[in-house]
Amino acid sequence: MKDKKIIAIYGKGGIGKSSTASNIAAACADEGYKVMIIGCDPKSDSSINLLGGQRIPTILGLLRESVDIQEEDIVFEGYNGVKCVEVGGPEPGIGCAGRGIIVAIQKLKSLSKAHLEMDLIIYDVPGDIVCGGFVAPIKKGFVNEAYVLTSGEYMPLYAANNICRGLKKINTPLSGVICNSRDVSREREIVEKFAEELGSELIAFIPKEQIVQDCEREGFSVIEKEPESDIADVYRELARKIMSQKKASNPDPMDDEQLRSLTR
Amino acid sequence: MKTDKISIIHPRPSSIVAALYTLRDLDVDVAILHGPAGCSFKHARLLEEDGVHVLTTALDENGFVFGGHDELVSLIKKAADMFNPDSMAVVGTCASMIIGEELHDAVEEAGLNIPVIEVEVHAGYRDNTKGVLMALESAADAGLISDTEYQRQSIILKKATEIEKKHGAASKSYLAPSRGDVKYSVAKRVMDLLKEDKKGIIIMNAKKETGYMFADVILAVNEIAEEMKVRSNIVNMANIDQTLGLPRVRTHARNIMSDFKEFGIEIHEIIGGMDEYAIAGEYVRKAIQEKYSDYDFAIIAGVPHAIPADVISGMEIISVTNGPRQVLPLKEMGHEHVVVEIDLHPRTLGVSSIVESEFGATLREIKKELHSQKNEEFAA
Repeated sequence: MKDKKIIAIYGKGGIGKSSTASNIAAACADEGYKVMIIGCDPKSDSSINLLGGQRIPTILGLLRESVDIQEEDIVFEGYNGVKCVEVGGPEPGIGCAGRGIIVAIQKLKSLSKAHLEMDLIIYDVPGDIVCGGFVAPIKKGFVNEAYVLTSGEYMPLYAANNICRGLKKINTPLSGVICNSRDVSREREIVEKFAEELGSELIAFIPKEQIVQDCEREGFSVIEKEPESDIADVYRELARKIMSQKKASNPDPMDDEQLRSLTR
Repeated sequence: MKTDKISIIHPRPSSIVAALYTLRDLDVDVAILHGPAGCSFKHARLLEEDGVHVLTTALDENGFVFGGHDELVSLIKKAADMFNPDSMAVVGTCASMIIGEELHDAVEEAGLNIPVIEVEVHAGYRDNTKGVLMALESAADAGLISDTEYQRQSIILKKATEIEKKHGAASKSYLAPSRGDVKYSVAKRVMDLLKEDKKGIIIMNAKKETGYMFADVILAVNEIAEEMKVRSNIVNMANIDQTLGLPRVRTHARNIMSDFKEFGIEIHEIIGGMDEYAIAGEYVRKAIQEKYSDYDFAIIAGVPHAIPADVISGMEIISVTNGPRQVLPLKEMGHEHVVVEIDLHPRTLGVSSIVESEFGATLREIKKELHSQKNEEFAA
């Protein structure tokens, strides 16, 4: 039996997790892997760029309507056969999104046979691990690798470091740091050093390219819309690294002062 | 969780339930629990016996995730239609409070023209009296009680909390429940004391409606003393001041007092109102110092641990409690005999006259034996 990769991508909100996840998923599908992407953000937009800009019904949305849910109601096929699932969530400021993730993931596990056949499952998790629900994918024993996405700016690094504290607490190994560049000075150097301090490595440096925005505005990944672009190759390279990644270790988070001097 | 305080690991009363009982005392007609259907079930059920319509929004897994605002609004309206209440309360639970439900928004939206008390309570407070205070505060806000009454209750509750920590169920990290001493032996001892011509103080220091059963101890001891012709050796004290407390609490005092009169029982000393069990010890102190310092024994029913040990030092103490976890603390306070009225509280809800206690029944049984012995002696 092949190793099944179940990964979670963490990082500060707005840093490009969904965008990166979609491109990794699309690149892996092109390589012939069976891929599923599970969006855990209440905004439910993780898979939108694999579905030509379309939104799909969410698990919690259906649960709310007390529908008797079947697998086909919640698992949708996107670009090149990538299975797309969105957890969904309550209206902002109401109820409990964390509990929502727990409930939705239990539901998905009880319903979906598809996830058993996958080579790669990507959990796209909201930016900050604010409560127990947001680590449910990991705690419930689904995720076996975690990646952290950051730029070289202070705040995303700070968030990434905090996430590593969380990962360490729940004893989850970090498989790599991905830099989604925001074009700041010494960016590669800073993130490389950050990864090293954590006891991990920088596995990809994604340059800031307008083309990513352009594709997303139309509802597509770069892999699908601009497969010949240089940045598509960057995503393919990252996808290969993830599929072949064997190393992972519990991160050793930095203290605030160290982190501050790193970006100085 | 702070580590500098002892963590108490036995189950203890809930602040949500404390709030519900307080709302009952405020004569609220309908109390809506905003939370899961089973939350506080046992007490909700009992409160129905006391005339309160307790309802629940029955939050389920969906409710936890999406909130239950709409359900709450529609239940408030529905309850108003069903029961035509004069006043209503909406009470929080752990689930609804953790997810940040706003009771006030729902009450506003429902727009009833009766007072609605909002109690944003959960069961995670260290002292369950917090639930009482929260309910009273909201009642004061809604204009159902005066500020003076609120202040008075706050002082009493503070004292009650102190007593629980010092000598009550919150005094130790773990207290095993106990059934106390065998009632028959203790009843025998009471009879022996009376036989030896000892002088005794019979104190009822009961928490509100529990007085309906603790009062029976006074009745039974007086009956047996009468039988033995030593009634003049005992004095009765009870916290049944009819002018203190919320209306419902005063009614209890009136009802019990009228029963006492009917049975020809004189209450020699009134030691406060029925909600003053935590401060009644001071009234007892004064009375004993002035008149009864030479008494030999005391029987204390209700909240015996609220009577300070120095007030009754030198006397043989028999205490009657309804707390199985209260036995050990009472023994440690030096009470020689402790009996437990198991499940007393449920039997004092929905009643308006004195209910027989097990200890009272045991004393009466012994009285019968005494009576037949006398008859035998007479026949001989």
